[in-house]
Amino acid sequence: MTPLALEEVTFWYPATETPALRDVALEVAAGEIVALVGKVGAGASTLLLVAADLAPRVTGGRLAGAVRRRARSGIVLPTPWTQLSGMAFTVWDEVAFGPANLGWPGHEIARHVDHALERLEIVSLAARDPVTLSGGELQRVIVAGLLAMDPDLMLLDEPTAELDPAGARSVWRLLRLLAGEGKAIVVATSELDAVPDVADQVVWLDDGAVRAIGTPQLLAEDAACDDGLGTTVARIWRAAGLAPPYPLTVADAVRRWP
Amino acid sequence: MRTLHPFTLLAVAAALPALAWILPAPGGGLATLLVALSLTLTPGASPGPAGTGISRSWRPGLVVFRTALFTAAPFWLFLLLLHDVRTTVAIGLRISTMVASFVWLAAVLAPDRLVEATVARGWSVTAAYLFAATLSAVPVLKARARRIVEAQRCRGLSPRGSVANRFRALRALALPLVLSALHEVDERTLALESRGLVSGARRTSLAPPPDRVVERVVRWGLLLLCLAALVRRLA
Repeated sequence: MTPLALEEVTFWYPATETPALRDVALEVAAGEIVALVGKVGAGASTLLLVAADLAPRVTGGRLAGAVRRRARSGIVLPTPWTQLSGMAFTVWDEVAFGPANLGWPGHEIARHVDHALERLEIVSLAARDPVTLSGGELQRVIVAGLLAMDPDLMLLDEPTAELDPAGARSVWRLLRLLAGEGKAIVVATSELDAVPDVADQVVWLDDGAVRAIGTPQLLAEDAACDDGLGTTVARIWRAAGLAPPYPLTVADAVRRWP
Repeated sequence: MRTLHPFTLLAVAAALPALAWILPAPGGGLATLLVALSLTLTPGASPGPAGTGISRSWRPGLVVFRTALFTAAPFWLFLLLLHDVRTTVAIGLRISTMVASFVWLAAVLAPDRLVEATVARGWSVTAAYLFAATLSAVPVLKARARRIVEAQRCRGLSPRGSVANRFRALRALALPLVLSALHEVDERTLALESRGLVSGARRTSLAPPPDRVVERVVRWGLLLLCLAALVRRLA
């Protein structure tokens, strides 16, 4: 059973005539990671809000089409500091904020929070006041907060934007692990070089519509490279005038180097 | 002092100003002010040197005492400009009690314990959120204001100099501060909603502070004392 299915979804924000999403159809299976790529304003964030049942329920606006969710979802929004609960004065309490709101028993909350802190490698921050954290630390805390709620469908909007390269790699590895445990994950990212190693499926959004859906190999195609959505290696290969198909990653390029 | 139940701290901080206004001046105001100032000197009425909570000496308490006095001082000045000495003393003592009580409360009341106490008491999550978010917004806004001032300085705007300069700097600070706070509201709403903070949610209290019988008695006692004083004053 697919945790998330969007059927011909069109969505308008309040007081706008132009839809932010147009006829989007998408299915996300359990254990699958779907990467949403596209230019700024392509509709990736809106798609995540729709998938999380926040649009139009909270944002307002109008939705046409059908959204079928068969799993409990959780979302990480792009700016970590706006996602602080304001009700927690330590990182541990911040991560526990979601589970506590779900009314779980205390020991269950503690187990999930400790596990989430371990997985995001932020156990040492547990007693810190969240407002004193750096952007990268905060981003991990927010992801840990989502993880502690144990959603079956994880929706992440630029989850590595504030992280250093090592921190970003660690989050991508974690997402692969979570997918291996059966979670369905949809991630909007502009870190295109990470996509081939992380995503099973890539959805290329353009002006609110799905322009293409496929494997990460999509990011090595001419059309994607023309639109600035190729991976760095693919674009360099292409710029060097080497023959297609272009490699996606450094490892690919090394294998195919003439 | 910090280990007391948050409701007990609130009750004390509310009862002192109430009594200051109910009891006859200037004796009532003087008595309540002395109690409030004594509280500001109690160990624990300051975060202490490491900012870790309880201080063991009286010295950190002096910081709170001094803050209370400095905060109350301008009120005396205004009152003196507006009233005669007798009225100034009567109202000044009462206002000073209010100020000292509030400063003491701000020093000893840990917001997280207050949140847990309200949740444990079965208050709605939204009411608890209102409390906590208000308290936690202060350091967040202070930090953001500092960043904005630094950014403005980098672009050549100095907060020093003439009154006109200072006013310009204040305007350059206030506008981005308010606009950024408003801009965040939408995303914060989405974040809270997605993290289960919805009306009617039955939130689990993570670490409810113990509410001893003696503290409950003290709270009721304070309420009865205020009522008795009011009845006596009106009679």
